[in-house]
Amino acid sequence: MSQVEGISIVEVEPIQGGDLIFIEGFPDVGLVGAIAASYIVDRLEMREVGYIDAELLPPLISVRNEQIKELIRIYHRDKVVAIISDVPIPPYIIKPLSQSIVDWIKRKDGKLLISISGIPEPNRLDIEKPEIYVLGSRPEITEMLIKLNGANRFKDGFIAGIKGMLLREAVRAGLDAAIILAQAHYNYPDPGAAGQVVSYLSRLLGIEIDVKPLLESAEELRLKLRDLMMRTDQVMRGIQKSKELELPPVYL
Amino acid sequence: MEEWRRSIWRRILDEFRRIEAEMSRMEDEFFRLMREAEERSGCIMPLYNVYESGDEVRLTADLPGSSKDEIGLIAGEDYFRIEAPCRSPLRGGEGRRYVLHVRLPAKIDPRTVRARYKEGVLEVVAKKKIVGYKIRID
Repeated sequence: MSQVEGISIVEVEPIQGGDLIFIEGFPDVGLVGAIAASYIVDRLEMREVGYIDAELLPPLISVRNEQIKELIRIYHRDKVVAIISDVPIPPYIIKPLSQSIVDWIKRKDGKLLISISGIPEPNRLDIEKPEIYVLGSRPEITEMLIKLNGANRFKDGFIAGIKGMLLREAVRAGLDAAIILAQAHYNYPDPGAAGQVVSYLSRLLGIEIDVKPLLESAEELRLKLRDLMMRTDQVMRGIQKSKELELPPVYL
Repeated sequence: MEEWRRSIWRRILDEFRRIEAEMSRMEDEFFRLMREAEERSGCIMPLYNVYESGDEVRLTADLPGSSKDEIGLIAGEDYFRIEAPCRSPLRGGEGRRYVLHVRLPAKIDPRTVRARYKEGVLEVVAKKKIVGYKIRID
């Protein structure tokens, strides 16, 4: 159980082992994180081992194939732990939730927390292969990510929402963390961008993950995810996500 | 002490819930009305964006699973209308159509409209209609 009030992180099956890498794919820009993380869970046949509940989450359950599902689920296999959500994270639980996730990973002695997201790209239509941008919680992590090839530095900008807060909490708590972003449509589900992230992650994790099935089912996936995208768009308006299109003020 | 903190937290939570309930009630109404309209008519309203910049109006719409030859696009002076078949097996099977009627933020010259369909996204760009007199600056 986590220590932050109103949030509980429950391991139904205790997650054991050291050097765990946590991947978070909460819905935001282009649903890049949500698509990429869910795809990895699916391809690696990861086991559902727990869930996160927050008092302020909407009173909903997911039903899939006659099975009752938690809204925010934790999956595990070998060294990889993935967290995915069926709903966008409501703005007012972003801070406590990020705190408790970082707390929890810290207590599990996790090696790295990876957030996946999209960078809103107005000219996405003209981009065949979206570029990957990376940022680590400390310079050594960033260097490690850049060395993998195929990634650019995220130099200046804002990161809004839970991805930004997780990174900040990680820095404060001394947990190694990184954000991996792909150029994406702002409010259309973007499996193409998610595919780029998955192939980058497969190099980072040293695990073979074929992205072809993802790209082949892209159009169908986009229609399936239309509802989640609409809801996510609503939430993004409440957290100044458009700020990501701006640059922080620099006076010198 | 613990008890006292807990009760304050409860009250804050309750207040949050009340505000949230009010906000999501309005939001939900929007989603429900849209969904009902879609179910009744068998049409799907695609996700879309309208941008207005300088002398252009640009619209993009997410129309996965359609094709360039089947998209019907009508441009009026202040609207775009898009109709296209949606071939996905989802959402009630074959025969579903995308229908989108968007009122534009500025009048356009319909003869200047250009459109392209790429990877499931339709983009329509038009020049604004500019009516006025040229004024000399003193």
